Amino acid sequence: MSFHINMFLKSLLGILPYLKTTLLVAAASLLFSTIIGGIAAAGILGKNSIGRVVSKAYIALMRCVPPIVLLFVVYYGSPTLVLWLTGKDINNWDAIYFAIFSLSLLHGASMAELMRAAYQTVEKGQREAAVSIGLSPFQAFYRIVLPQAAVAALPILGNAVVSMLKDGALAYSIGVVDITGRASYIISLNLGGYVLETYLALALIYWILSVVTAKSFQVLGKKLRRG
Amino acid sequence: MKLSIPFIIETFKNAMGAVPVTLSLAVVPFLIGRVLAFLLALAQINKVRFFGRFASVYVSIIRGTPAVVLVLLLYNTLPGQLSAFFKAIGSDFNVYRQIPGIAYAYFIFTLTATAFLIEIFRSAIGSVDKGQLEAAYTIGLNPFQAYTRIILPQAITLAMPNLCNLLVVLVKNTSLAFMMTVKDLTQTAKLGAALNYRYAESYIVILIIYVIICLSIEGISKVIENKLAYKVR
Repeated sequence: MSFHINMFLKSLLGILPYLKTTLLVAAASLLFSTIIGGIAAAGILGKNSIGRVVSKAYIALMRCVPPIVLLFVVYYGSPTLVLWLTGKDINNWDAIYFAIFSLSLLHGASMAELMRAAYQTVEKGQREAAVSIGLSPFQAFYRIVLPQAAVAALPILGNAVVSMLKDGALAYSIGVVDITGRASYIISLNLGGYVLETYLALALIYWILSVVTAKSFQVLGKKLRRG
Repeated sequence: MKLSIPFIIETFKNAMGAVPVTLSLAVVPFLIGRVLAFLLALAQINKVRFFGRFASVYVSIIRGTPAVVLVLLLYNTLPGQLSAFFKAIGSDFNVYRQIPGIAYAYFIFTLTATAFLIEIFRSAIGSVDKGQLEAAYTIGLNPFQAYTRIILPQAITLAMPNLCNLLVVLVKNTSLAFMMTVKDLTQTAKLGAALNYRYAESYIVILIIYVIICLSIEGISKVIENKLAYKVR
């Protein structure tokens, strides 16, 4: 078995257009997991004891679930559940929705932890000072606490985005044609040949993507802290 | 939606039989990886010429690529490469028949575990005060003694929470072993689901088992952490 550099380049070019699906899945998961995480973080930091217990249970549960198993549970389980609850048939929805939903559910927990930690790095006095000069509690949060918390959270957020990108690779197993799905397809087009070249190209794309993502969040964090 | 209770119980029983496989796929790579990772972490900290650089690139590659892609890449190419190798040296060893899928699973999971362990050891050793090592040298310990007697015990205590966390991550990672024809938890669920056409129940059962495993690891680790913390004080 020898390495064919031209096949490597060919699969690289064949895979690259599907990067937009990978990025779409990651971006949508980031958006929805931020929303879910925000709610869960508010639950933990809030005064309501039921909210606290539910949020904590959700985070503990998600920390223990393998991504692929959650993906299968959502993909096979949610159509039945939705049919039973609302009578609507979502069986023929595109697999990408199930992938985004399960990734958001999974990473909502880590986003919640991240937000809670970031919120707690901001000194309590900051909020009190803001309220004392006449800002409303919402303004105090939005204008004073949030900007500081966001800067503190940036490097960790970079890691979270990288793991969202990486977990997104599992979506190919339910039929989403992202870069991983495309790579497998290219291999079957080649009748199972040039496996090394194709998957190496795939791994290279992911590696560059991860390194660039993590680095840019670090740089951004440093810049904002200085300014 | 109709849940079949007998099916759930049956799946649960089948899946429990696969728990040892899943656990060993997490624990064995952890045990093998920690030796390699410790040496590489030391190389990285002390900026040893080749190995220090190798460790950083290695960690970056393994942490920067999804575990599935690593499995797809190595599981689909290694047997062919090995086979070619054995043919080249004139051995009639049949790679495809004599190396089971689980061997590749152990190998690949060891690669990932090592990368994560390097990171953990590096940060733990780095956070032990530098004066400790210098003090150890001044009282006449050699580097080996200084590390094993002074630095390591402190570093391990610091690394304990991360190590337990890693074990949970590794257990979750083993769910990919089904791609290598290993009969682990996920594989039993997959087979049961396909045979009985009950996908949701099957996967929910193993999800619960994974949660129980990981919560137990976390519980045990809390106990160990508390004990170690007491000793340090």
